[in-house]
Amino acid sequence: MRMLKRSLLLSLPLLAIYSWQAWGHHAFSAEFDKEAPVTLEGSVTKIEWINPHAWIHLAVVNAQGETIDWMVEGGTPNTLLRSGIHKNSIPIGSEIVVRGYQAKDKRCQPACKANGRDLTFADGRKVFMGSSGTGAPKDGSDPRESR
Amino acid sequence: MNQLIYAFATWLDTHSWSTQLHESFYMYNWVESTHVLALMVSLGLLFLIDLRMLGLAFVDIPATAIAHRLFLPMLIGFSVMIVTGLLLFYAIPVRTSQSLWFRIKVVLLIAAAVNAWLFHRRMQDAGSSAAGSWDLAVKAPRRLQIGAALSLIFWGFIVICGRLIAYDWFDCRGEPSPFVSTITGCIADQTQF
Repeated sequence: MRMLKRSLLLSLPLLAIYSWQAWGHHAFSAEFDKEAPVTLEGSVTKIEWINPHAWIHLAVVNAQGETIDWMVEGGTPNTLLRSGIHKNSIPIGSEIVVRGYQAKDKRCQPACKANGRDLTFADGRKVFMGSSGTGAPKDGSDPRESR
Repeated sequence: MNQLIYAFATWLDTHSWSTQLHESFYMYNWVESTHVLALMVSLGLLFLIDLRMLGLAFVDIPATAIAHRLFLPMLIGFSVMIVTGLLLFYAIPVRTSQSLWFRIKVVLLIAAAVNAWLFHRRMQDAGSSAAGSWDLAVKAPRRLQIGAALSLIFWGFIVICGRLIAYDWFDCRGEPSPFVSTITGCIADQTQF
């Protein structure tokens, strides 16, 4: 009985850490705003093909005619390769459309940030560019998500 | 100091191996997963030793027996953790060296290392003291208990800080407040992140 009490007592902080981590694991909600979906149409200015997340930089012309720099977070290079995107499949200057969600930090310093969900090439081909299981909204862009 | 760290980090960043690891399809993932698994092995064993000293686990087993038996596998886990940790830093040197969480983590790592060294010395002292064996006592001598508690606290926060490095809330790229900027060591007009 004493042992049981003790192990229960010990497991409490572990449980606290676990539940905190479960929240922390949802990288999406920590940095991105599910209430701020964006559709970005622009030309690719730079690609950071890096772990743990690749970044695609876009120059997007807004309704006022200003060019806004966006950087869109994707999955890992590995996930992107598996969903059909390679570094060389998006040449600099190519026109793409990215759907995603803007960052909670909307200061746009030095560029506006977003989490990319899917990417449409000029030829109409659409691919999922995020990672599964990040806690992003289930908007149908992830072919592997359970509905 | 911050200039020096930035210069070192940007120099590391020019290495082609650093870039290759950063852009790799498998290696980075393997290194990161191994880091976390090694952490579970080494800290799992360390926490068992700490909890035994505090009289919270395996009280019917002699304290030094636990400490001595778990020491080697713990050390192996630590070595793997340190090597993979260094590789993770090597892959992303500039951003990591300017991460608020990484900097707190390094301070805590130094504190944990000093604490471990003191703990080790105190255990040897306690073992050779004339006060007799405390091995079978539920709790270790007070000085060792303090060391064990500090070890639990330090490593707990080290893991939390390590996890938080992933988040970009205080990154130099986002131009944080002057206060945060000073702590994280952002360089005015820096070109690499």
